[in-house]
Amino acid sequence: MDGRYIYCITDGGKNISPGKIGIEKAEVYTISFCNLLAVVHNCEAKAYYSEDEDAVINWIITHQQVVDEAWKRFGTVLPITFNTIIKGNTEDVRAWLKQEYESLCKKIRRFRGKAEYGIQVFWDINMIEGILVDRDTGLKGLQREMTSKTDGIAYMYKQKFEKRLKAEIEAEAELCFKKLYNQIKAHVEDIFVEKIKRKEGNTQMLMNLSCLVPKDRRSYVGEEIEKINSTNGLSVRFTGPWPPYSFVELDRI
Amino acid sequence: MKPIRERDVTFIDLVDRVLDKGLVIRADIIISLAGIPLVGINLGAAIAGMETMLRYGIMEEWDKEIRGEAICQK
Repeated sequence: MDGRYIYCITDGGKNISPGKIGIEKAEVYTISFCNLLAVVHNCEAKAYYSEDEDAVINWIITHQQVVDEAWKRFGTVLPITFNTIIKGNTEDVRAWLKQEYESLCKKIRRFRGKAEYGIQVFWDINMIEGILVDRDTGLKGLQREMTSKTDGIAYMYKQKFEKRLKAEIEAEAELCFKKLYNQIKAHVEDIFVEKIKRKEGNTQMLMNLSCLVPKDRRSYVGEEIEKINSTNGLSVRFTGPWPPYSFVELDRI
Repeated sequence: MKPIRERDVTFIDLVDRVLDKGLVIRADIIISLAGIPLVGINLGAAIAGMETMLRYGIMEEWDKEIRGEAICQK
């Protein structure tokens, strides 16, 4: 087979062969250059593709299991994007490791003893709206007019009310984001701000972060998240530890 | 608060990372993925807003839609 599927790069030094734990039960092994190891399996020189969603889900899960295995054994990994295949044989992979040696070693040094965590903060829109209306006399006035006037005029007030409320929610979101961001930033090494995911219902995502955290600071982050999670109207989804997927491509060394 | 990593509740987070992120190898010996209609990438979009791991019904709808668009573009 003239392709090598790459899961991750690590600096274990000694080659390992963890067995048939790869995608489609492929035999996973390592290709070394000096201290660097590429965790791979042999495959055809073409990308994996399937119309069967279950199969794709399995591939994704298996990809991560192999990366996790290497992570567990060697402590630091540079995870590679799913479906990355080098055209060529073992020597071609080794030549690539040699060519990229300096930059790969630099990246590995950067991530030693660190892991990525996902922090998604949600807020209860109903509750926030209630707080904002209570706080703002202008909004309260509009709400009063809205309920006491006849249909046509009430509709006009309703529109005014909604417009003002929307602006206030946006301003509040920005304020809240800044506050939480600074609160989290104090405890992590690096932050990547992810896109917010919209969904139905009252609980809306306010903030979506990937954070790089040194092992010895993990408990502090957990404590900070706990504080946010116990704040009225806020809840947090805290995931990890992940290999540094969100940071390996960021050039901040 | 302890972070979660259980597969059945963090599959979305895993997909977000494994498909869209990670080290990108820039070398001419790499098989290019550009333009390959990988179901996995559609999956990433399809499950992005989902609460639980696998709601196949929703995925099928998304997938049909996306594949439909891909066919239209050809």
